[in-house]
Order: sequence, then structure tokens, then C-alpha cells
Amino acid sequence: MYPAPFHYHRAESLEGAISLLAELGDSARALAGGQTLLVWMKLRFDEPQHLVDVSRIPGLSEIRQQAGDEVCIGALATHAEIARSAIAEALPNVLDCGSGIADAQIRSRGTIGGALGSADPSCDWPTLLHTFDAVLTCTGPEGTRTIPVSELVEDIYTTILKPAELITEIRFKIPPENSGGAYCGFKRCAPAYPTASAGVQLTLEDDICSAIRIALGSAGLTTITSQEAEAVLQGNPLTEANIDKATEAIVAAADPVPDQRGSEDFKRAVLRTLVKRAIDIAGRRCHGEIIKGHHEYV
Amino acid sequence: MSWIGKSPNRKEDVRLIRGQGYFVDDKQDYGLLHLHLVRSPYAHAHIINVDVAAAEALPGVICTLTGAEVKELMPESFMELGPEPAANIQDYPMAVGKVIFQGEPVAAVVAETPALAADGGALVDVDYDMLDAVITAEQAMEDEEVLHESAGTNKTWQGVYEYGEVDAAFDEAATVVKIDRMHFHRFASTPVENNAVVAEWKRHGELDFFCNNSFVGFAQQLLAPALGVSVDQMHIKTHDIGGSFGNKISNYTQMAIAALASRKAGGRPVKWAETRTEHLLSSGHGNERTFLDTEVALDKNGVITAVRSRHIDDCGAYPRYEPLGCVIWSQVLPATYGVRNFRIDFSQAVTNKCPAVPNRGYSRMQHLWFMERIIDICAHKLDIPADEMRLRNYITEFPYTTPNGCVYDSGNYPAMLEKAKELIGWDDWKKKQADARAEGRLLGIGIGTTLDSGTNNFGQARIMNPHLPFSGNSEVATIRIDLQGSVIVTLGSGPSGQSHETTTAQVVAEELGINPDLVRVRSGFDTGWNTFVGHSGSYASQFAVTGLSAVHGACEKLKAEMRRLAAFILEASEEDLEFGIGEEGPQLSVKGTDQAVNYWYMGNLVNNDNAVLAGELGDVTLNIRHVYRPPFTVPDVERKYGNLTLTYAAQLHIAVIEIDRDFGHPRILAYAAVDDCGTVINPKIVGGQVHGATAHGIGAAIMETFQYDETGNLLTSSFSDYCPITSMNMPDVQYGSIQTPSPFSYSGAKGMGEGGGAPLHTVSAAVQDALITEGIIVTDSHHSVTSVFELLRSKDESSGVQVDKR
Repeated sequence: MYPAPFHYHRAESLEGAISLLAELGDSARALAGGQTLLVWMKLRFDEPQHLVDVSRIPGLSEIRQQAGDEVCIGALATHAEIARSAIAEALPNVLDCGSGIADAQIRSRGTIGGALGSADPSCDWPTLLHTFDAVLTCTGPEGTRTIPVSELVEDIYTTILKPAELITEIRFKIPPENSGGAYCGFKRCAPAYPTASAGVQLTLEDDICSAIRIALGSAGLTTITSQEAEAVLQGNPLTEANIDKATEAIVAAADPVPDQRGSEDFKRAVLRTLVKRAIDIAGRRCHGEIIKGHHEYV
Repeated sequence: MSWIGKSPNRKEDVRLIRGQGYFVDDKQDYGLLHLHLVRSPYAHAHIINVDVAAAEALPGVICTLTGAEVKELMPESFMELGPEPAANIQDYPMAVGKVIFQGEPVAAVVAETPALAADGGALVDVDYDMLDAVITAEQAMEDEEVLHESAGTNKTWQGVYEYGEVDAAFDEAATVVKIDRMHFHRFASTPVENNAVVAEWKRHGELDFFCNNSFVGFAQQLLAPALGVSVDQMHIKTHDIGGSFGNKISNYTQMAIAALASRKAGGRPVKWAETRTEHLLSSGHGNERTFLDTEVALDKNGVITAVRSRHIDDCGAYPRYEPLGCVIWSQVLPATYGVRNFRIDFSQAVTNKCPAVPNRGYSRMQHLWFMERIIDICAHKLDIPADEMRLRNYITEFPYTTPNGCVYDSGNYPAMLEKAKELIGWDDWKKKQADARAEGRLLGIGIGTTLDSGTNNFGQARIMNPHLPFSGNSEVATIRIDLQGSVIVTLGSGPSGQSHETTTAQVVAEELGINPDLVRVRSGFDTGWNTFVGHSGSYASQFAVTGLSAVHGACEKLKAEMRRLAAFILEASEEDLEFGIGEEGPQLSVKGTDQAVNYWYMGNLVNNDNAVLAGELGDVTLNIRHVYRPPFTVPDVERKYGNLTLTYAAQLHIAVIEIDRDFGHPRILAYAAVDDCGTVINPKIVGGQVHGATAHGIGAAIMETFQYDETGNLLTSSFSDYCPITSMNMPDVQYGSIQTPSPFSYSGAKGMGEGGGAPLHTVSAAVQDALITEGIIVTDSHHSVTSVFELLRSKDESSGVQVDKR
């Protein structure tokens, strides 16, 4: 499979990339890991005339923890780099998510910024980052601004980013003690997108739940969240009845698209299982239990 | 030292693990051009117009081909193996006037680079007039929409296989079990290397192919008349092939396009290398079978006495090789069971789907799955444990002549069952199953017994079409001592990963008393070596019998010559000579003395220094070509009776599967595979093929399906959607073997490798056992999470199974 002809430009700096993208306009795409873009080009679903390769811009792939317990992940950090980082060691749901994306080749090429920018509801990182209330630093011709992850995506494959504006960094707070998170994906095989996925983050004090976040991936045209579901658990214990009620609320908010990965009913059944499993794992992790919870394959 | 039954390092690995393999797409050549195929997005449509002007105007594009042009250039369309009216189908490698399946080539673009060829392809403008698509064989049989006007019907074959006293057996039956409909789904084997070819139609009229076709002996006979050349004008080579599993038997159609493109391009070599999406969409799928109105007669002990049923194969857009599948299943008519009375009404129909091609377990797998479903469904309905049901029905005396005249050479199915039970921990799982059921969990244990019939008698093709000039089987090997004393072997088999170089070297080393490292086996296949017959190729689980018998026979003839030569040189009698390795390498020596002559001396003498022979031994060349022919006769076409295959390897698998009640996820908790392929030449290679066949079968059973929508659009045309099995999906396989040597091969070995689709039978049986508490009967071979979810949902519906106790 060969893409239509295009011109290749390698950006040496963020400023250079932005000005080149601004100059080339609609006929250009920014290329990071190519996990999504190159496939689309090879299928000739997208035929840009220019590719601006941003992957070698220095300083944009750093993964660090800074003052105030804030995690900063450069947009060009690959899935594999994040899964191997100290952050993933501290936050098992980051490991669950990063190490379960596609296969080893893709994990060593695909970037977290690319996954966000593609606005594809099947991507794993956006779902997880919703549970951390992450904030994105974005830089464009008009300067730098921050965008909450929940506001990034307007519609499937469409972000609110302006022309030539790039995501440069992802930031979120490390949850306080007595917190736990989980990310559970279900997929047919390594190269397949998940059939469905669920992320949960919560804090338990005296068995009472707070700071609850639940998000679903591959469950609609964008990441699915539900304040109603979170409200069921907020300030309440993780009883079976509460978990069921919260699960039903978020599964009701989901709008899964029937396709060859399953009917709508089937996907709701998978989501139901994944949400319950993720709440269970998150709750047990609040108590310091070590649980391996990764993607599950058929 | 004996080399049979040992696992020396694979000779092939020396190059393959160093990245030094040589596959078709590795070939570079001066002036090499690249071909891109423009394919139909529709499954069924008239072609109104193909406009290639813009493509031809693109700099770097050398020429284009359209279907109409291909028809002009070919003296005749490809031969169909089936009888009339299907024989009248106009089968060109590119759609002519009408598209019959999604992905069918409609034009080709030849350019200086692959990227330019693809760019040119995007500029080809095709006007289509869409027609209704025919998606199932049952729908096709109604002939409301006829796909091939030249045939006048979609029904491409029909025949009744009847043996014994069927109706009497039903009259006497204690129980009759009726199953309305069963279905074996469509999938293929996903070779790691796609189809590819480099064709060069030289200006002096000779045509070279470097390809990865896995049955060149046959392909050349289809290509020559269609391209208007003689077989001898075609020089066909292969080298390394990354898997075929039968799928690459049928890539001769693309070989023809590349050849015609080379001719149009003035004789420059043209490479075509398929993409994965093209492979999944259009290279060939395994055949899909529907079983209707099945009735099973049983006696009071649960022994099956008769089966009657109606089977329909869906062969996709073109029958081509596929009508053979209408007979090949009958190699295993009663499966592993002693049933004597059968009436199977077998039909085949064309549909607007990718053409079906041979696929690992070809045609027998579908039938063996059918027989295993019968066994399990009857067992459950009669409340007989699945293991007990099998023991009551297994064939136990060998050689065994089946109702249609096939001779099962040897086997011991009860011993295999015992071994598999031991490997998996049967009793323990039975207890766990009882506990799980008490908790309301769905845990099933399934057995699958299957056969891998090998070394087929091509005479069975005449049961399908009496006019076909094929019968028997044969394979060739050449062996020589060259002028430097090296032992050189060439094979007709054209392997695609089955380690023929290694096992051949083991057989030669065994015969000559030397080491496999001292035997050079040339890689691949080459018509230029003169080591081929019409049956030459790697297919149908036969190399251990056909290929190695040819090697063995060649060794015997070579040894006879070497004995005569050494006796002359050493002035000794032939009886006193022995083969072995001495200080100066491989040699013949006089027993009990230090007199010896090495291979270098003998090779040089014959090839370089023959005056020393003083006119003696003029017929000794140390260059042997041997053809092995199994002892077959032509089957009785009227009765559909005869010995159709020489050896019957067997597999017995057991799986434990738990099904998630919430969304149907079938998790394999334990898996055991026991293999019997007679005398084992190389245990590591046999083990590899058993594991590979197990992975393919589990993949097919729980993941892989070619799913079409009602317009004939393939929904699973990429790895993301087709989901071939990966290591992440594989259970640990507990592997064991028994050996019942075949009395029909010189070494006791049986052909193996296809594996008989054992995991499909086994997974279906385990899913059935898990769901039986829900009253669900399994009648489809695909158990993806989504299909099991639907099964769980459908439990209130009638299962389509009736039991009539008399």
C-alpha cells in the first residue's frame, strides 16, 4: 500500500513546525508517530500534499513529575516510553493503558499527543486522561493555551485545535493517598482497536468514595462520561448496589456504534463488565492491593 | 547413528533466522517494473467502461491492462476442473464485462516503481452498474440471479454419495436424531508472506516466473494453454515461501496477469506483490459448507449406524480448483467412526464472494467437523458422556476399509484419547466442571478427534468430472555426487515452511551413513532442474510419504551405482562394502580393512577422470532421478468408490473452555493436543506443525471469519477486523504423541501438517458442553465472543434438533 505523493518536511523546532504548518495550511498534516495518519494515507483516505514531521523536535517527549505532585508528559512521548516510565510504576492504570495499546511495534512509534490529536474514540489515552482530569498545553501561531482534555474533542476525528496548533504537553495531578485507578480494555487481538474500554479513578476514605471519575472508550463517537454515574458513587460506599447503579448510568450514557466488533447490545454488555471490573480494581488499589489489570484478549 | 526420529537443527534456519531468506519480493532485477491491480469495490456489477487514459499519461507508467484486453491476449480462458455446465464458465484473471466479487481485478497499471503504479491505479476510472449480490449458497441455488451467464446456473456441481443400506438402518434404529441446519464458516490461513510473482516474458518467447505458487506441477498445466505457450517454454522457480497452507495453489491467476503485463511492456520483468488487504479480500478463502436436513440413526447402545444429509459448498465467484472439494471430503467419509451406511447429497454453488481455494485441512476438515458435531449432539441428547460416545463408535481394527473403499492404514484412537485425558487432567477438570455448574458457571470440556489424510489419489477427481485426465500421485527427487564429491539433492515439492531440506538430509544421511550437514538440499523448486512431475508441489499432507519416498528411492539407486563403482576401484566385492564416514570424509570402505574410497574420488572419476575406468561402468553417472508412485488404482466413478488416500494421520485434542455469562467471552482454560503421524522423521518439525495447526484452528474457531454484508462487502478485510490469532490469544498447549507406523510407506511415516482442523471440532465441542446446561445446541463452527453472545441470547429459540426414540 502506497500513499499518494507528498512532500516531506522535518521540523527542527516547535516554532519552525508551527510556522511551516501555518504557511502550508490545509494541504499539510503534522506527523508524529504516524500510528493513525500513515495508515489513512496508505489507504488513500487522506492525501495531504505536505507532511511536517514533528517527531524529532527536542524536549517534547519528556516524562517527569514536578512540584505540586504534577505529572508532565511531553506530547511526543511514545506509548512504550510512558509504559516504562516511573509514572507508570507509580500509577498502575497508566501502565495498564500504555502497555495494552496495539502491538510492540506500534507502542514504540505511536505518541500520546498523536492519540489525543486524532480524536479517535477508539484510542486508549484520551479515555484514561479523562479520569485524571488532564490538561493539555497547546501552542499555535497565536501563542500557548491550556485545554482540559474533556474539551479537546468536538466530534469524532475533530478537535477544537486551531490550524497549525499542536499539543505539546499533557499534565495532571497525582491523585492523593488512598486513591486508585484502573483501565480495562477488551480487544480481539493485538492489532485490533479495543471493542470497548473503561477507565475509573477514585479515592476511598473510610470506605467512602470521592473524586470519582469514570470514562468509556470505543463507546460512542467521543469519550463517554456521566456526571450521573459519578454522583451515584460520590460520597457513598462501594456497595454492589451502588456499583450496579453507577454502571447502569454510564452504560446508558454510552452510544456504541454497531460494527464488525459487535452489535450495540453486545458492546453495552462488554462495557457493563468492564466498568464493574475497573471500579473493583480501582477500589482494591485504594487499599494498596497490587493487581495486574491489563487489556483482555479474546 | 540413526538420523530418523532425531531433531537436528533445521538447515533452513541458517538463512532464515539471519534475514538471508530469499522471497519473491526480495528479487531485484535490471529494468524491473511493478504492477498494481485496480479492484472492484462492488461484489456484483456490470462494467460499463474502464478509462485508463489518465493513468497512462502519468510519467513513469509504462502500460495498463484491462479485462477486455486480457481476454484478447489469452488464447483461452482458464480451465475449470468441474464438468459442464460449470466447465463453460469464462474464467479470466481479470473481470471481463462483469464483476463477480468485491476485490476482483478490473485493470492493471505497470510502472517504474510500486508507488507510481499505485498512483496510476488511482487514476483509472471505472463505471459500474451495480447488481444484486448473491451471498449464500442456499440463495445461489435458487438461480434467481445467475452469476455466470455462460454456465446458465449457479449450481456448479451435484452428486449423491450412497453406501450401505441407509433406509434399512433408519428403519431398524433405536433412536433417530435430526439436525435441521449446521454451518461451517469461511476463513483462511493467513500465510505470513502474501502472494507475489515476478514474470518475464522474454522476446524469444520463453516465459520466466519467480513465484510463490505451492503446486507448480498443476499451475503450469493451467497457465500454458491460457497463455498460449508450451509447458516447456515456461521456466518456473520458487525459493523461500512464507507459508501457503494450500492458499497459494491458486495464485496462478495473478501469475498470468504479470506475464501478460511483461509481454505488453516489451519483455521487461514485472513484479506483483500483494498487500495484506488484497490478500484478505481477494486471494482466496477456505470453503464454507452448509449441512441441511441431517438425520442420524443410532442403535440402543448409542452406536451410530447411518447418516443421511444434504451438504452445500459455497465456492465463491469462480469454481476453478474448488470442485475437487466436492470429493476430497469423502477421503474421510466416516471420520474416525465405524459407520457403514451413508447417503450424502452434495452440491456446490457460486456466490458473489471471494473464490474459495484449498485451505489447511481442505474439505475434509468441514466434514470431520460435521461428524464430530453429530457425535456430540447425539451424545448430549442420549445422555452419553462425550468420551464414552466416542469409544463406542471409534474404528479399532486396521487397516480399515471405509464404506467408500478408502483404506485407513493404522491408528489407535482410544490410546490417543487416554493420552490427551492424561495431559489435560481429565478427572480433575470433571470435578471442577461439576463445581462450576453448581455455581451456575458455564464450563465445558470438549473432545475433537480428526484425521489428516495424506498422499491423495488424483483419480478421485474423476468422481467429480469423469473427463479429467488425472489419477494416482507422484513426486520426484534427484540425487547426485558432484565432481567435488558433494551430495546434492533437488526436490519437486517446493516447500513453504515444512522443513523439507532438513528431513530430506536426514533420510539421505540415514541411507548413506553420513551426517545431514554433509547433504546439500537445494532450496525451493525449479523446472530447470527437471525434478518435477504433474503432481509436484507441497499440499495435502504428503511430503513424508511422496517426497521422502522419492528421496529414499533415489538413494537406493545411487547406492547401487556407488557400490559398483567402489567395488571396481577397490577391487573388492560389492557385498564387502560399507557406507560411512572416514578420515577423508564420506566414503565406501571394505569391511574390516583400511581400504576405502571417498566421494570426491568417485565424483571426480565419473565426471572428470573417466579414462581410469577404462571403458567400464559406462552406465554409472552418480546422477539419479527417481519418481515415487503410490500404489493407486483409478476409483470406480459410478459407485464413487476407491482408495482415495494412502495414509491417515490422526489428531485428538481436548479443550476446557469457560464462557463468561455477561458477554459470551469463551476463555480457553486448558488445551491438550495428541498427534499420531506414524513414524516421526523429526519430532521438532512435527511438533512445530502440530502447534501451528493448533493455532490456526483455534484462531479459526474463536476469532477469524470472513464476514460479508448483504451487498457482498467484506467487513473483515484488515488484520484489525479479521483478527488472525496471535500469541496473546493462544493457550498453553499440552502436546503429546503416539506412533502407529503406516504399513503403506517405506518408513512407516504418514503425511501430516494440515492437522484436520482439530481445534474447530474441539472448541465447538467444549462450547457445546459449556452451554448444554442452557439448552443450547452448537450448530456453527465460529465461536467468536460476539457469536457466543448471540447464542446465549438465542437460548429460548428452537435449536433445530429433534430426537425420535423408537
